[in-house]
Amino acid sequence: MTRLRRFASLLGMAAIIAFFAWQLPDTFLTARNWLNISQQVSMLAVVAVTMTVVMAMGDFDLSVGAMASLSGVVAATLFVAGWPVPQALAAALALGLLGGLVNGLLVSVIGILPFVATLATLTIYSGAAFLVSGGRTIFGRDIPQAFSDFARGGVQIGVANGRPLLLPALTLVALAVAAMCWVVLEQTNYGRRLYAIGGNAQAARLAGVRVTLLRLSAFGFTGLGAAIAGLMYAARVASANPTQGDGVMLTAIAAVFLGMTLTENGQPRVLATLAGVIVLGVLDNGLTQMNVNSYLREVMIGAIILAAVTLSALSRRRR
Amino acid sequence: MTELTLENVTRRYGTVAALDGVSLRLRAGEVHALMGENGAGKSTLIRLLAGLEAPDAGGFRRNGGALQTDAGPGLRVLHQELTVVPALSVAENMHLGAPFPTRLGLIDWRRLNARAAGALLRLGPAHIDPAVPISRLSPGDRMLARIAATLLAEGPPPWLYVLDEPTAALTAAEVDRLMAVIAELRAAGAGILYVSHRMDEVMRIASHVTVLRDGRLISSQPLAATNEAGIIRDMTGRDLSELFPPREPPPAAPAILQVERLAAGAVRDININLQPGEILGLAGLSGSGRGVLLQAILGAVPLQAGRVRLAGQPRARSIAGAWAQGLAYVPRERRSEGLMLLQAIADNIALPHLGRLARLPGLADRPAAARLVERESARVRLRARGPAQAVGELSGGNQQKVLFARALGGAPRVLLLDEPTRGVDVGARFDIYRLIHALAQTGTAVLLASSDLPELLGLSHRIAVLQNGRLAHQLPNDGLTEAQLLTLCYATKAPA
Repeated sequence: MTRLRRFASLLGMAAIIAFFAWQLPDTFLTARNWLNISQQVSMLAVVAVTMTVVMAMGDFDLSVGAMASLSGVVAATLFVAGWPVPQALAAALALGLLGGLVNGLLVSVIGILPFVATLATLTIYSGAAFLVSGGRTIFGRDIPQAFSDFARGGVQIGVANGRPLLLPALTLVALAVAAMCWVVLEQTNYGRRLYAIGGNAQAARLAGVRVTLLRLSAFGFTGLGAAIAGLMYAARVASANPTQGDGVMLTAIAAVFLGMTLTENGQPRVLATLAGVIVLGVLDNGLTQMNVNSYLREVMIGAIILAAVTLSALSRRRR
Repeated sequence: MTELTLENVTRRYGTVAALDGVSLRLRAGEVHALMGENGAGKSTLIRLLAGLEAPDAGGFRRNGGALQTDAGPGLRVLHQELTVVPALSVAENMHLGAPFPTRLGLIDWRRLNARAAGALLRLGPAHIDPAVPISRLSPGDRMLARIAATLLAEGPPPWLYVLDEPTAALTAAEVDRLMAVIAELRAAGAGILYVSHRMDEVMRIASHVTVLRDGRLISSQPLAATNEAGIIRDMTGRDLSELFPPREPPPAAPAILQVERLAAGAVRDININLQPGEILGLAGLSGSGRGVLLQAILGAVPLQAGRVRLAGQPRARSIAGAWAQGLAYVPRERRSEGLMLLQAIADNIALPHLGRLARLPGLADRPAAARLVERESARVRLRARGPAQAVGELSGGNQQKVLFARALGGAPRVLLLDEPTRGVDVGARFDIYRLIHALAQTGTAVLLASSDLPELLGLSHRIAVLQNGRLAHQLPNDGLTEAQLLTLCYATKAPA
């Protein structure tokens, strides 16, 4: 039954790709389009794989979107104040880590439900982003060339139609973050213990897992991941405003859920999350190319997420 | 008088016969015990009686009527893990599925509570207030409320109650109350099919006993025609004398575990010395503090006073440190405190040993973990499809063996066991006793907290008795009887 469920999700993904390949014969299955998709989903991927770390414990973090916006405007504001790029980026990342650890503190030490705690910090971080930026978009000459050039650059991996094919730098960043989260969750004792907490926190504690400390620290990943994603987005659009990261939170959680329909026992896993991210990215890319109305696109993507999760829930119930 | 006969009932899953030609007779007004190890076919029989499945061959005959594929009306099956709606009151839970009394279209709360209280009173348990949320009730009282609820339904009350492991989550006092309620039901003319692993309860209330093994009927007879040893032989195909191997006193050696003037939670002034290879049985009524004491020794409950030493060294402050020092713990509630039910057997077993197994600091060493899992699974005789199987799919006995495999993985010097055979079938019980015995012989000290008196007396070198959080007695287990031990649990002075 589990196999059927996983198999069915994979079939669904293959069907989506086949559908777009049929509808968009000239553009969809080209290397350039896929590299383009990889860049489009890179920010989502970073947030989703770090979200996987806390979801392994059975928790989640609603504040990532607000944190992504905040880190973008903080870096941009520091650029305006004349900070060199590396220092400004380091400060924004440190803020993300700190914000994540605050979430961890609220959830694990104080014992607030993750939903409530991160909903409150979502509001705080979002408000802070407006305060820092004064509610305006920071763009133009205020954003250093070196910063926005990074997002346009990449590693050349070939030539197509006379133009170089670039593996985008943002894709490389996302792959690096995903690789790190994969190692942490799959190859370290830390990660195995996070899954144990997700399975049964009380049992994990009695078996010698330092539950409070681990839960606290794991939220550092989502905070840091959100900050990285916020900076990636700011670099890509060469501007920062206090709401630009907001949409990523729900999509990231959806990607993890989609991935969970692929795994044994329905656990959140990094590679499965990446598959979920790619499905969402492919849908968005294909539907956009087919000129589907963007509101309708949202309805369709939501329906597909529901279908996948429903299938998974039904198969679980039948067991 | 109502009676139901099962005639050659057979039920197959694929090629395996879960029930193979079982015939027996259930009568109103008698308590009929159904016993057997896990996999013997008890659950299948219950599903057939409940009408959830139909037999492949054979059937049911009611009061000598025609052979049918269902057991007919008037049966009520109560499962071991009761589902209640925690936020609703006792009375509301008792009326679920039945119409609530109303007045002008609104719920008549007073009558609702009065009807629930009346039903409870008819069975005896008058201490339950029907107006409180059911979440405040103990598992035992929830069970009683559910039984009483069967009297509220419209139409005649059930003539046969099927109780599936009703005492698995109950304390001794709650079991006593349940026994009284069962006696009440029987006196009112109902029959009870009592499905249980627990020999003492069956000996106490049953008038008939049926034993299944591997889907076949082994025996079905009046209790008076058999005895405990006979039932165990029927269930396992083995003799009772194998259950507790003869024990030899541990060789004299300096203490491995020293508990000095320990106070934590509700326990006070605990002094215990344990030698390598010694099994100390920890007896006491429910609520005497056995579980808290074990958790305090492990470090899961903070000490208010006193100290714990392992081989002369102070115990580490963290639970992780205590495991690393050679303490191992098998908790009382294996589902809530022990296991990650959805996760693989291997992950469950390796969890406390991850740090020790790491090749490089922090990096998981999966091959080493797999070897440990394989070795310990074999040692505890775990029956499973493989190390990747989810623990939740295993039987209670095998789940308990996973916890033992976890505890043994670190070659513990001191093993803390809280009710190690609770809700475990007789076969797994054999394996667990053999394991405890073998561990002690190789020098592991065991602190065994249990409410199962034959188990304490059969395994322990010494017995310590807790009363209200204090250590009332410590004595060698020489010729102690169950009655004497029970007296010690209640009495403040040792018998002359």
